[in-house]
Amino acid sequence: MGLFGKAARKSPWIYRINAGSCNGCDVELMTTACIPRYDIERLGCQYCGSPRHADIVLVTGPITVGVKEKLLRVYAQVPDPKVVVAVGICPISGGVFRESYAIAGPLDAFVPVDVNIPGCPPRPQAIIEGLALAIEIWAARVDALA
Amino acid sequence: MNILKLLLGNLIKGPATDPYPLGEAITPAAYRGRVAIDEATCVGCKMCEHVCAAGAIRFTEDEAGLHFLIWHNSCVTCGLCAVYCPTKAITLTTNWQTSHRQEDKYKQVDHATIPFTNCSCCGVRFLKAQDPLMLLAYKTVGPNEERLRDLCPQCRQVESAKGAKV
Repeated sequence: MGLFGKAARKSPWIYRINAGSCNGCDVELMTTACIPRYDIERLGCQYCGSPRHADIVLVTGPITVGVKEKLLRVYAQVPDPKVVVAVGICPISGGVFRESYAIAGPLDAFVPVDVNIPGCPPRPQAIIEGLALAIEIWAARVDALA
Repeated sequence: MNILKLLLGNLIKGPATDPYPLGEAITPAAYRGRVAIDEATCVGCKMCEHVCAAGAIRFTEDEAGLHFLIWHNSCVTCGLCAVYCPTKAITLTTNWQTSHRQEDKYKQVDHATIPFTNCSCCGVRFLKAQDPLMLLAYKTVGPNEERLRDLCPQCRQVESAKGAKV
């Protein structure tokens, strides 16, 4: 493994996709990353603005019919290896929106999910816990490449 | 001078960062976390299934009894089930550590069985009233109430009517 691989193993960049979320989970994700109280950078994570730079993808929202194609397009732009985390119960099961005509989800019907963080919304500590799991998976995938 | 005061204050107060994941997280006592069910006090009224906003609670029935099932991956922890539970068998714990890998997605289920009892008079299967429900229905539970408790609803009606005559 080169220097680049070693560095990538320790600092996965995270990217979030809002797939029709009510913004509850997004606010919690924001809190987790942007205020010093929860400080996700302790784990080496940082938000990035482009899916092309991302290593870990966080998806919120129940995947509405309108956003499904866009989600798949953005997801395809994330380079391999990647780890997908479903944040909140919406992408996991549909939650209160399950079986609605406007919902194409759950997320694992068209995207391979690795970690689930249930909650409505999950608290920042729960997101950190789930991200720690995702980082484990990420490190294993990077090691497998080397 | 203000900045010096702030710096000194920060030195004394220590870091503002929540200790988790390096230490124990601070959880408020009223935090609405994972739902827990007490098998012994559930009376199988199915009110929780009726009010559940996300359809996370489901009841099924078989020979062994009435089965209460909750899928935590669909639960919004709104607490309606706990509010409407007549015997307070459902409670919301402060457990928020529910993150899991994808392979455990469908294992996030809690299960409780409420066994059926056979009527002491006619032998029909029915759900026997649990202690908290008896205390709700009667102020004191005497031997007469205990006898009525072992009877199915139909036999209980007959028995109660007999009592009314006397």
